[in-house]
Amino acid sequence: MTEINSIASAPDLAAKKVAYEALVTAYLARPAFATQMVAFWRDTFKMGETAMLDTAPVFAADLAVNNKPYTDLFTRASNNCPTFDATTGAFTAAECSNGGTQVGVLTNPGVMVQYFGNFAFRRVKWVNETFDCLKFPVEIGNAPQDIGAASPYTGAWPLESIAGTSNGGRVNFQDTSSVLCVNCHQTINHIAPMFAHYDGTGKFTPGLSVPTPMGDDKLALDTDYLPAGETFAWRFGKPVSDLTALGATMAADPAIATCGVARVWNWALGKTDIVDTLMDVPAATIAAQTSAFSANNYKLRDLIFSVFTADDFVKF
Amino acid sequence: MKNLLYIAALLGSSLVAVACTTDATVDAGDGPLPGSPPLTTGGSDTTFNHDNSGYSPWELIDRLAQEGPAKYTSHVHSCSKVRYATLGNVLKSVGVDMTKTGAVSAAKLYQGGENALGAPNFANRIRENIGITTSGASREFDIFAAAADEVIAAMPTLERCKVGGIGAQMFDGTTCRTEGIACLTGQPATAAHVEFCNLAVSSATTPVAGKRIAVASLLAASYTCE
Repeated sequence: MTEINSIASAPDLAAKKVAYEALVTAYLARPAFATQMVAFWRDTFKMGETAMLDTAPVFAADLAVNNKPYTDLFTRASNNCPTFDATTGAFTAAECSNGGTQVGVLTNPGVMVQYFGNFAFRRVKWVNETFDCLKFPVEIGNAPQDIGAASPYTGAWPLESIAGTSNGGRVNFQDTSSVLCVNCHQTINHIAPMFAHYDGTGKFTPGLSVPTPMGDDKLALDTDYLPAGETFAWRFGKPVSDLTALGATMAADPAIATCGVARVWNWALGKTDIVDTLMDVPAATIAAQTSAFSANNYKLRDLIFSVFTADDFVKF
Repeated sequence: MKNLLYIAALLGSSLVAVACTTDATVDAGDGPLPGSPPLTTGGSDTTFNHDNSGYSPWELIDRLAQEGPAKYTSHVHSCSKVRYATLGNVLKSVGVDMTKTGAVSAAKLYQGGENALGAPNFANRIRENIGITTSGASREFDIFAAAADEVIAAMPTLERCKVGGIGAQMFDGTTCRTEGIACLTGQPATAAHVEFCNLAVSSATTPVAGKRIAVASLLAASYTCE
């Protein structure tokens, strides 16, 4: 009541604004904020409530509470599996123990377990929907291409850039007999092999260790995704060599930062999931916050403060 | 471009529902019948059976028609429900004993209401549903109605209601008090709040029932975004 009255009894709108912003600042320093952040990231990542599955949400919550860069989600190379004490709101740094090079949450063991599946496609879907706020297909070319199908192909990559049964693959991702698989797999197949090195327990393996739908004894092969000579990529024209490079490329992609701002915006304003319910946030709506976010080295707590004090959020 | 991608994604809800073919022997499970065209869908244990869930385009059109385009709605608050865990914290903060085990106690209704209240199901990669549903709103009002007596009794000792160390009272006889209403709603009570509260008390069959309805209604209005 004291907090409520501090705003209600302020003499004018300017004073109310000052009182309100002071309360927001104080709230962001409380243990309760840390708990809310863990809940927010559990929902965003659609995982949590076990020690392993909480490591990624807690990692992201730590960034928010301690005002670290959002891009750490894609680039940090150590201490990527922190723990959280809900009583004190404290985070304790810890290394992930699943082997391999660590790259933010992109190599998180909980993520690998939660989104384990054939060809690692489910992991790619999670990365794209969570951090780019888009369902596949996500790449549209400059002009439709006639590939002999009932409908033109509208993607950015050449059809031959992904595997099919005619160029070494065991699954015909170039199939056009019903729908055009390439619309989505042009992007998915250039990313998935990098995530295919993590097995069902989340551990890194030198070889590919994800199953295929072609029988229990058949693990994925590099040639299932891409023909020989084709490189991995985040998007057309943005080649990468491994998950470290993928994370760096994502961190530099303005669409990723915009998606992060949009998710925080929707959370603050009580919206449902931006992807699951197509709760779009036009870039113009969050232009000021997005610009400040990138200029401020993507500091997450500062972003949250800017959203909760935005003109759209408050009435004074 | 992003709008185009959203449209593409929307259309993709049907496009990605089917999948790519293979010449290899496929464990198709409950796949197509013999003589069918080349495989486009597979069994539940294969990636050939793509995720067919997605937001209904008809639901989106209906929402846009009712609420307006995103360039408007993105500027305003939505009416979301209180998160399941947060509702538990709210109940504790208004004096509800969460250890009670009676079948119609607020604690029991809360603990058994996870699904109705849209709690997350992370084992199945489902986040908490913060949209208000009929089942969720109904269960929430049931909880508040069951909690009303406890809330009225506990209010003088509730930390959230104290100003300068002095607790609040919900009622003065059969009249609602402003500090009690503010304690429940989290905002300074208006004349309309007081009038509504008094009306709820006086219109009921008994004052006790009226007080329950008043408290439950105020809590429901605050925590279901009415």
